[in-house]
Order: sequence, then structure tokens, then C-alpha cells
Amino acid sequence: MKRLNSIEDLEVLRQQILEQRKSIRKRVRICGGPGCHSGGGERLIEAFQKLLDEKGVGHEYMVTQTGCHGFCARGPIVVIEPANIFYERVKVERVPEIFERSVLGDDLVDDLLFVSEETGEKIVREKDIPFYAHQERIIFNDTGLTWSTEIDDYIARGGYSALAKVLSGMKPEEVIEEVKISGLRGRGGGGFPTGVKWESCRKAHGEMKYVICNADEGDPGAYMDRALLEGTPHQVIEGMIIGAYAIGAREGYLYCRYEYPLAVKHANRALDQAREYGLLGDNILGTEFCLDMFVNRGAGAFICGESTALMASLEGKLGEPRGKHIHTVEKGLWNRPSNLNNVESWASVPLIVNQGGQWFASIGTERSKGTKIFSVVGKINNTGLVEVAMGTPLRKIVYDIGGGIPGGKRFKAVQTGGPSGGCVPEELIDLAVDFEQLKKAGSMMGSGGMIVMDEDTCMVDVARYFLNFLVQESCGKCVPCRVGVKRMHEIVSNMCEGKAEPGDIEHLEELCDTIQEAALCGLGKSAPNPVASTLRYFRDEYDAHVLEKRCPAKVCKPLLTYEIDTEKCTGCGLCRLRCPEGAIIGAKKECHCIDEELCVRCGICIENCKFGAIYIE
Amino acid sequence: MPRLTIDDIEIEVPHGTKVIDAAERLGIMIPRFCYHRGLGSVGACRMCAVKFLQGPFKGLQMSCMIDAQDGMVISTTDAEALDFRRHVIEWLMLNHPHDCPVCDEGGHCLLQDMTVSGGHGMRRFSGEKRTYRDQYLGELVQHEMNRCIHCYRCVRFYREFAGYRDLGALQIAQKVYFGRLADGPLESPFAGNLVDLCPTGVYTDKPARFRARRWDLERGPSLCIHCSLGCNTVAGARYREVLRQEARLNEEVNGYFICDLGRYGFAYAGHPERPRSPRIGSQAVGWQEAVAVACDRLARLGPRSIACLSSARASVETLGTLKYLSKRVGSDHFVCFYDAAVKFKMGEIVSKLDGRTAVSLRDIEKADLLIGVGADPINAAPMLALAMRQAQRAGAKVVMMDPRPLFLPCDFEHLSVSPELFDVCLSALVKSTFDRERVGKHGEAAVTLYDRMLSCDPLDASVQARLEPLIAVVEGCRRPIIICGSDIAPASSVSFAADVALLMGEVKDQSGVFYVLPGANAYGAALFDAANGSSFESVVQEIEDGAIKALIVAESDPFRYVADRDRLQRALNKLELLLVLDYLPSETVRKAHIFLPTRAIFETRSSFINQEGRLQVAEKIHSPGTPIWQVSNKGHPPRLYGTGICGGEPRAAWRVLQQIAHTLVHSQNEISENDPWPVIGGECAVLARHHQHNGPLHGLRIIPQTSTAAFFDGDLDLQPKQPMDGHLTLLPVVSTFATEELASYSEIIQRVIGSPCAYLHSDDAERCGLLDCDRIRIAVDDGFLEIDLTVSDKMARGFLILPRHSRFEWQKLHCFAQGLPVEKIGNCTP
Repeated sequence: MKRLNSIEDLEVLRQQILEQRKSIRKRVRICGGPGCHSGGGERLIEAFQKLLDEKGVGHEYMVTQTGCHGFCARGPIVVIEPANIFYERVKVERVPEIFERSVLGDDLVDDLLFVSEETGEKIVREKDIPFYAHQERIIFNDTGLTWSTEIDDYIARGGYSALAKVLSGMKPEEVIEEVKISGLRGRGGGGFPTGVKWESCRKAHGEMKYVICNADEGDPGAYMDRALLEGTPHQVIEGMIIGAYAIGAREGYLYCRYEYPLAVKHANRALDQAREYGLLGDNILGTEFCLDMFVNRGAGAFICGESTALMASLEGKLGEPRGKHIHTVEKGLWNRPSNLNNVESWASVPLIVNQGGQWFASIGTERSKGTKIFSVVGKINNTGLVEVAMGTPLRKIVYDIGGGIPGGKRFKAVQTGGPSGGCVPEELIDLAVDFEQLKKAGSMMGSGGMIVMDEDTCMVDVARYFLNFLVQESCGKCVPCRVGVKRMHEIVSNMCEGKAEPGDIEHLEELCDTIQEAALCGLGKSAPNPVASTLRYFRDEYDAHVLEKRCPAKVCKPLLTYEIDTEKCTGCGLCRLRCPEGAIIGAKKECHCIDEELCVRCGICIENCKFGAIYIE
Repeated sequence: MPRLTIDDIEIEVPHGTKVIDAAERLGIMIPRFCYHRGLGSVGACRMCAVKFLQGPFKGLQMSCMIDAQDGMVISTTDAEALDFRRHVIEWLMLNHPHDCPVCDEGGHCLLQDMTVSGGHGMRRFSGEKRTYRDQYLGELVQHEMNRCIHCYRCVRFYREFAGYRDLGALQIAQKVYFGRLADGPLESPFAGNLVDLCPTGVYTDKPARFRARRWDLERGPSLCIHCSLGCNTVAGARYREVLRQEARLNEEVNGYFICDLGRYGFAYAGHPERPRSPRIGSQAVGWQEAVAVACDRLARLGPRSIACLSSARASVETLGTLKYLSKRVGSDHFVCFYDAAVKFKMGEIVSKLDGRTAVSLRDIEKADLLIGVGADPINAAPMLALAMRQAQRAGAKVVMMDPRPLFLPCDFEHLSVSPELFDVCLSALVKSTFDRERVGKHGEAAVTLYDRMLSCDPLDASVQARLEPLIAVVEGCRRPIIICGSDIAPASSVSFAADVALLMGEVKDQSGVFYVLPGANAYGAALFDAANGSSFESVVQEIEDGAIKALIVAESDPFRYVADRDRLQRALNKLELLLVLDYLPSETVRKAHIFLPTRAIFETRSSFINQEGRLQVAEKIHSPGTPIWQVSNKGHPPRLYGTGICGGEPRAAWRVLQQIAHTLVHSQNEISENDPWPVIGGECAVLARHHQHNGPLHGLRIIPQTSTAAFFDGDLDLQPKQPMDGHLTLLPVVSTFATEELASYSEIIQRVIGSPCAYLHSDDAERCGLLDCDRIRIAVDDGFLEIDLTVSDKMARGFLILPRHSRFEWQKLHCFAQGLPVEKIGNCTP
């Protein structure tokens, strides 16, 4: 690869790449995102590539492994360009057929097309599928389109043009101004205005400054940062280079979660490529500007996603947060000014620079600008990553994009903001999702996880699940989080096990208040949220657990009673034979009954009863 | 200076004062666990929450995290704050094992205090407690992790403050564990501070474990006399025996901490073989008889036939009274140092330490450049290393000139040059900082010295190359301090270091020289021993010649220090009277014709002068006498309280010496029997001024503001000698805990010291055909000396470095003072 020694060189290189690709007639995009990858996407690529080689048509057709397409529920996904044909759930056995008919020929493989549930119609083009059609894909657009490991592909699509624009005459202050105009707010959950942060970091005194990318995405069910970093690492890196230029940093770090080996691999590869092209290192694109960046792999602690803990961990210290009264923009990594942003925030920067802050600000609500990527998971049909404008109603996300709840069940709530976020109940389904509205509803934006829950979900059990996560992942530095949250978990567990006593709910509330008041870091302060928000909207469920020892959603096993309907029972004896505890008694041909003392609520009897005679009270 | 209001009381505090400290100044003790002024704030325990009513912060905040600012109004008793703190203490007690009855911390446990003051009484928790496995952390510190409340003080001290890495926080959440990766002794010589720091009983004093309740201890302010720094301690005794020591805050000396030698070295005072009864020959006698016989024999001798010997471990009281006695009996010989060279260096040091050059340990922490000249802090004065680390943490550069393979718990630049090159190196390092004009202000002699510095020989290229960047550092620094040893550093360097410090004071904001001296009271000994041409060498000579017939030895053991022990033995055999006063079961005590037992530091009020000329007092902690634990064969509760004659227990050396002096010259009325200070003042003019020395808490610096001594009079040693071919220069050096005299009688310390080890440069080792970890054998007159070898390339070539270790007879090597022929070294590795 040739080093780019001037800004013009970048454009020349782009033209060269486009020239080389003129002969390409069709391009097969295979999703390499986490969902599709685990569904066997890797093997699809090999199979397509093998066919290309066998037929010797590599100069006319091209197979690329892209980043995540977002529609994970339907993976592995194959899209054939330029016709934009979308094949879902592709198995490796179908590859020769697809290759023959849709790549070499112009035919369709009918049974692999997306079928609309509403109309039963087959939809050919990716962008016509409702899941995509209702989204506003800006930041997350390139991820499914570019070859994630090839810098040339990114450059061919106009990559690094924002950097070129910045370096060809924008002053750092102008870059910061543009970001301020855009109204971009931190996508890691804090929602702090990015431009303001950059400005304070630029103004902070210090020879050496750092830019840091927080890719320690630890929220259960959230994976948009992973998808971005695996799919379009260059978009993130370009954003960081621009940020470094704006604040005057000379070194950058990507702190990536331990559990994301592919993201680490792709980011490292991208940094190497950028270095070879002279987009990193000394005199970037022949200018005075120098910057180098490194990837640091975390060790698996959730808390290291907190900015100060992340910096401590980068320094090789114990990954624990410190008090927020010293700002990291002034004294961060190694006590030097440091600007930390989330992956999604960095990835937004090139677009803002290229299209202007005004353009970005035109999307979204009054105080929350632009778009946000959510990972929509749980009891929902179209599991996946979606990007919508800020202020999009929750209903649109759940029903229009998410395709509603499977099995026609009733929507109960959506949990947003990761483990320390909160639940938004059914009555708020028309909530316009942005920073302010979520906060008002007692939840938060967080990094953008959305866990959809249906009527079969017990909210006390949900609170217990998230508390358990927080108990495990507390760093252990300050008492309220280390001990207080553990205590909350014990009380909620007691509720789920029928051991709760009157007054426990009040005790929980007392703990919520005290912990929120004075835990050391943001994680600790928000740790009681799973309880606080479920208590706010689903207090009746708590009451049922505590006072009536009853789980309305029939989830908490110790609270359930299995009973046999005397009308329906034929006395066939099957349940009695299958019961592992010998808890069912009854003579042949006579109605059976369950000994509640012995019953362990395993549910085997229900599964085995052919007459539907056993039910949960 | 910000003014703020705490609990309706207004107070003005210096900038940067934390609110928690501002409250403490008002006598309001805000509860805390993790906050410690020596370690700073971390915000982990959330115990110090107070309500901010007005000012830049509002609501409940941690008072340890926020600097006091103008206009703040704070309530420490606000209902919300009280309620919050009650919750915190409730949480902390959830997992605590409530084993106070068997916990050594009980009675002075912060957790006990806070539980009561926090108002937590009812347990609302029925779940399981989290439990841990304890670790073996060595012989000094006991580990009990279940009691932990996770304040992080231990790891903050151990890793950040002290710079050792073998103890840390492991795991996360409820499982956070403070310990080592595996069982094993803590590597830091400051580990004992964990006992003081831990707010509850996770780390307790192991040697004192289950020996006494804290409230039963007789406690009082004492001093560490194991090195020249004079760190302050609190000694605690029970049943006539010191059981444990803690660090005592002295903001000018040791700060909040002490080293393990200072903490655990006390056991010499309770040594089972400590002689506690007067003795004539081998016959135990009463005090009256012993003193009478001693006086009688002394009186029979001529005035010039008596010599007096003391040492740098003796208190000012002992030294002053012995000097008085020596004058009274008309002795020409009053000797405190065994080695004439050390004595000369001490004279230089005492004359050159004044208000312009002397610095304290606190000043070291504030320095931005530290230049070590022949000093090995970790081995010779551990707390100095800790102070140096604090300076380095704050950005100071540390440069050490030393032939030894030094270790420091901080980053430093090591110039491994031989002692003869110290002057040249120091000259090369600092000369560009001065100019003739400024130097001229100090007179002709200074200019002459400056010219000598400019003309010094060039160093060899490799050293010069390493010096170059350092010269720039010297030029740029504002607060340089020279740390100079008195052990391997030649006399010229000791003198030169002070000269450089004085000149530096001219061009820098602050400058000084910090000497490491050869004993706790070396400065005091030098004060008394100064205007006196006599040396121990000449005393021995005169004994051999028959001129000296009696030797009075007060708290000194020449056998330990003098290289040629056979000669000393022969000389002592010639004496008509060897009168020994001491509290150690030493070789000299065994040879005494008449022995008089004296009191150790814990048994009498005594004063010591540390290396910067600071006079400090150790109070009497307990009455002398055999520890009851020894008498009653470690039984509990003790049934037997004493042996021996009542009133026969040891007496303060100064009392005995004064009594002898008065008996000999019949002048009892002259001075008080209960106060040694009139006598001391009479012998030393400097100390006369400090007669009433119930002085300031931090001790009293007795150095003159401007010394009248001639600076710049020393001759620089600028022409290094060429070593003899085929010879190694022997360098006996101090070794942490293993060299010091008192510690060698301290059973606790003996348990933890490592085995002796010699050092050789890798080039020399190759020449001698030796490998790292070999066991070498050195042929001496009457056999062989064996020692393990460590090969290092971080030391000077041409040296065999040997520890003055209590388990290695380094004295036998005195015949190789001029160099050890390499063929004398054999390898006895199997």
C-alpha cells in the first residue's frame, strides 16, 4: 500500500479503487454481524468464494463480508447488489442455487425471500422490508454495506473524506462548533453534549491529551457498539481522528470489551491499514497533524465501561471509578486531559462533518438530536439492531419495526438503558423515545438496549434478574453499591421465593433512596433503578408477591400451586408415573391430586397430561 | 484562605483543605473509614457524608472528596446525613463476623466506634455472611479477611504510597479480596503499617497477637532508635514488657508511618538473656556493692589511665554523663565511634548542618530532584526511601550514585560508580548550575572549590553519556536535595555534599543535604566527641602500651564493630578494670570485670538527636524488671511477679554514671540527682540552651541558623585510585534489619531477616568463574567464610559487596582491607 502524502492523494486513491471495480457486475453482501456469524455466515462466504474461484468470474462478481445488517432474527442474511435482493436464513447448501440463479443469472430463489406477515406477500428488495423501511439509517447505514476488513472499500464509499475536509482548512474550533451545532449528545448513556465536552478538553491545560473510544459495551442484550466496531471500524476511527484534531490530542485508545474478540481483531486491522496509508501516525495526509491509536482489550469487568474506571484500567490499575468532582477532560488518563466518547458517538462524527451540523440537528427532537441505534431483543418478532430518529414513538419501534410480540401475546413493558435502566409500561407505549422522555418515565437511554417483555413476564423476577447482574458486576469500591444492592437482591429474591414479609417493600424503597443518593459512580447511583421503576409501575405485582404470596405472571415457582381439575382428570396415571418427586397420588381411573409439600413445581405433569387437567393456581 | 461554616461555627482553612479536615480542626470528628490524611481521599466507604446547605455543592456529599471553599455552610448533624450514615454502618456490619471478643483490634477499632456513633443497633438481616480464606502474610502481620469493610486503605498504602506490588485488591463486587496472589510473607519492609491503617482487625500485629488488650497497655510516646531518622512511635507495654509499637504522627519526621524495624525491633529490651543484675566477675551482687567496688578500683588508678567508650546508640543523657565522668576522673579518652574515619565524617557533618543546609524527611517529599551520594535508603534508613518515593510520585527525579545494586520502591537513575568517583560525578552533575560570580559570594574558598570542580578529570564515556541528560535536570530543578551516606561515602564526599547544597541554595528556591548517619544518636555522639583527638584505635594502642588500665564502656559493644577482634580481645585482657554498663547480653558485657545493668529506652526517659539535628524525647513506658511472661513461664494469668532482689533492677545509665562520678570526686551537692540535664548542659554548650526540653511536639532542631564552620575547606578526591590487578575491593555494607545492633537481639526481627548474600558484578563473576546463586568460600586466616552469591550488572565493577549481617562474620575479612585477591574466592556449590 502506498502512503498518502497529501489530501489530494486520498481522492486519487479513491478514483483508482473505483476504476478497478468498474468491471464488477454484481456484488454479494453477506452479513458478518454477531447474529449471522453465529448462524453460519462465515461458511456462506467460503462457499460463495469457492464458486467464484471455480468459475473464474472473480473479476465480474464480488463477495464481501459486511458488518451487521441489523435484522438478526432473519440471519444469516445475503443481499445481492445492484438489485438489492434480500435472502433470509440462508443455509450453506443453498449457496450453489443462489449463485447459479441470482448471481450468474437474474432469477430469484423464491423460498428464501422475506414474507410479510401482514399481507403474506413476498418482498424482494431489502429496503422494502418494513423492518428497514420504517428505520432512519444514518450512522448504522454503512455497516451492512461495506467490507468490514477492507479500508479500500470504505474509501471507495467516500470514507475519510470528512477527515480530508477537516484537514484541508477547518480550524479545530470550527470542528468543535460544527459538532456543537449538531447537538450530538453522548451515546453511551450519559447524554452529555459532545461538542461541549470537546471544547472543555481542548481548553484544558496539558501538553499531552488523549482521545478514548469506549467500546466496553457490557449491557446484557446490547450489541450496537460491537456491530459498529466489527462492521465499520474505519468510521469509528475516522471520527476519533477528527476528534483528536479538534481537541489537540496526539494519542488515542480504543478500549474494547474482552468478550468482543472480532471487534478487537477488526479494529486492530483497521488501525494497521490506516497507519499504512498515513491516516494515522506522523503528518497525517501530509499535514502537521500527528496521532496514533491503540486498541486495549478489557478484562471482562462491566464497570470498566464507566469512564473513570475505564481510564484506571487503561493505566493498568484496578478498574474502579473515582469521584466525578475531577473532570476527566482535565485530568483523565494518567492525569492528563482526556476525551472519552462512546463508539456510536465517534461514528456519528464523520457524518456530521460531511453533511454539516445543521443537517444532523434537523433530525430528532428539540433537545435530543440525530438518530439512535437500539438493540431490540426479548419477546419480539424482529430481534435486531434498529436505528431511528430521536423522538420516534415506542409503538413504532415495537410494532412497525419490531413486528410485535410473538404468539399474539400482550405487550407488557420494555426495559431500556441496560441493567440499571428502567421499565416503560404498556400505558406509555406512545412515548417519544429520547433522553428526556425516557428519564421522565423513570428509565434512561443508556447505551440503547431495549428488552421487550410480554404478559408472561414477572416484573419482580425481572428486577431480581437485573439486580443479580448488578450484584455480580459491582466493582466493590463503595459500600452502597457493593452491599446495598446485594441487600436489595436478597429482599427481592425472598419475594420471589415467598419468604417476604410485610414491610419489605418499604425497606426496598428505603434502600433505593439511600443508594441513589450516595453511591460513588453513575452505575451505583442507578443500580436501584430496576426496582425503583418496576415499583413505580407494577407495585401491585410486588404486593401480590409479598402479601398474597402469589406471582401474577406465574413465573416465580415457589409461589405457584399446581392443581388438578377434577372435571378433566381421567385418572390415567401418567402424571403420577412421571412425577420425579412422587408428589401425585391417586388410584387408577380416579381423580388424582398433588401433594403440595412434595411438589417442586417442575411442570413435568403439565407437559405430560393429555387432557389439560393440570393447571397452575 | 476559604472561610466556611460547619455546624454553625465559622472557620478559615488553607486552600486545598478537605471539608473533613476542616471539621476536624473544629474538633468535629466526621465518621470515616477510607479517608486517611496520609493517603488522601478515595470515596469508597461513604461514611463521611454531610449535608451541604449553601455554597457550590448542595445536598448530601462526601466530606472527604470536597475541598473547603468560601461560603460553604455544612451540617454534620443533619437528619438526612445521620440517616445515611446509619445505613452505611448497617451495611458494613452485615458481613462483619462480630468476633470482637477474640479480635486484637477490639477496644481501638474504628468499626466499633462508628457502629456505636452511627446509631446502628438492630440487625435487619438474616442472610449468609460472605466469608474468605485468610492468608499467611509472614511473621509480622496477621490476616483476617472476614473482618474487612473494604476501605482500600491497605492497598492504597501498600501499592501507591509505598510502591510494593505483592499485595492488592483481587476480584470484584462482594468478593473483593485484599491479599496476595498466594500465601507468603509480605515483601515490603513497611508492611507493619497495615496494622495501624486498617480501621478494623483485618491486619493485626502478629507478634503481639492475643498478648494484651489495648486498654490494658501502658502506652506512651517513644522513638525508634534503630537508625538515624528518629521516627516517632507509641510503645505499648504490659507486665513489664513492650508488646507492640505503633507509628506516632510527626509531621516533620516520619509522618504517619514507620518501617517494620522500628515497629518490631523492640524485643531486644525483653531479651530472655538480658543481664538484669549487677555483677562482679561472674558473681551477682547488689547495686551498692557493685558501684562501691567499681569506684574503689577506679580511684586506685591514675587520672590518665581511664578511657571511656560509648556509642551512637546511647542516649544524650548517657553520653553527657559519661563525658562528665570522664572529665571528672581526668581521662583523656572519651570515644563514641569505633572507626576514626566515621568519627571524622561525623565531625564534618555536625559542623556543616545548619539552618541553610539541613532538611527534614518532609522536605525530601517536597523536593524535585534527589541526588544520592553513597546512600542506600532501603537498607540504612527505610523511611527515607518512602519519603523519596513520595517526591518521585510528585514528579521529582531521583539520581543515585552508588556502587551497590540499589533497590528503591520508585524509579531512579542509578550511576553505579565506585565511592572514589562520587566527587567527580557530583562535580560533573552540578558544576554547570553555578557561575563564578554567585559562588564568589561565599568567599575565596568557595571559588577555589569551584575551580577544582571545573578542573576535575573527565569521566569515562559511558558514565558521561548517562550524566548528560541529568545535567539538564539539575539545571532545571528548583528544590534539589543531596542525600549523603556516612558509611561507604569518603570523607571528602560527605563534606563536598554540604558545600554543594550550600551553593545550590544560592541558585535554587530551596536546597539542602540529608545525611544518613551511623546510629540513632550519632549526631549527639558527635557533639560530645567533637573536640577530642582521641579515637578508639588510639585507645586500644594505649591499652596495649599499658598507659590505659581501665575502660568504662557505656551502652557500647566494640566486639560487634571492630574488625580485628583478636587484637581487641588481647587488649581487653590486659586491662585492670573493664567496667561495662548496658542492657544487651553482648560479648563485651560477658567480658566485663564489673557489670552494671542499665535501662533500655522504654524504661527511662531518654533523648536522641536524629540525623538532621533534631532533639527528640522518648518517655518512660514501663518499670524495669524481668517481664512477667518470662518469669511465669508464659502462663496466663500470671501468678509469679518477680525474681531477684527488690530494688536490684536496672537503673538509668546516667544515674549510675553520675553516682560513680560523685563518689569518686565527693561533690554530691553540686547537681540534682533527678535531672541529668544540668550535667549535660555543662558538657555541651549547644544542649545547654535546651535545658528545658519539654520542647515542641515535633522535637527541637538544635542546629545553628548559620554554622560558623568553614565550608568549602575539604579537598576533593578527584583522582580515583586504580584498583590492584587481580584484586576485588571489599565493601561491607548495611543490610535491612540484619546489620543493626539492637535488632540482632530482637527475636521478632531475627525471624524475618533473609540469609546473608554477597554481590559481584557479572563481569567480575565471569572472571572468577562464578555464577549467580553460587555459594562462595573466602579463605581467611583461620579457615573459610561461606556466603551465597548474587551476580548483578547493576553495580560497580571491581567490588565484592558483603553484608554486615548478624549471621556472617564479615569482621574476619579485615585482613583484606587493601583488596581481596580473586584466588581467595572459591566455589563450594555442590
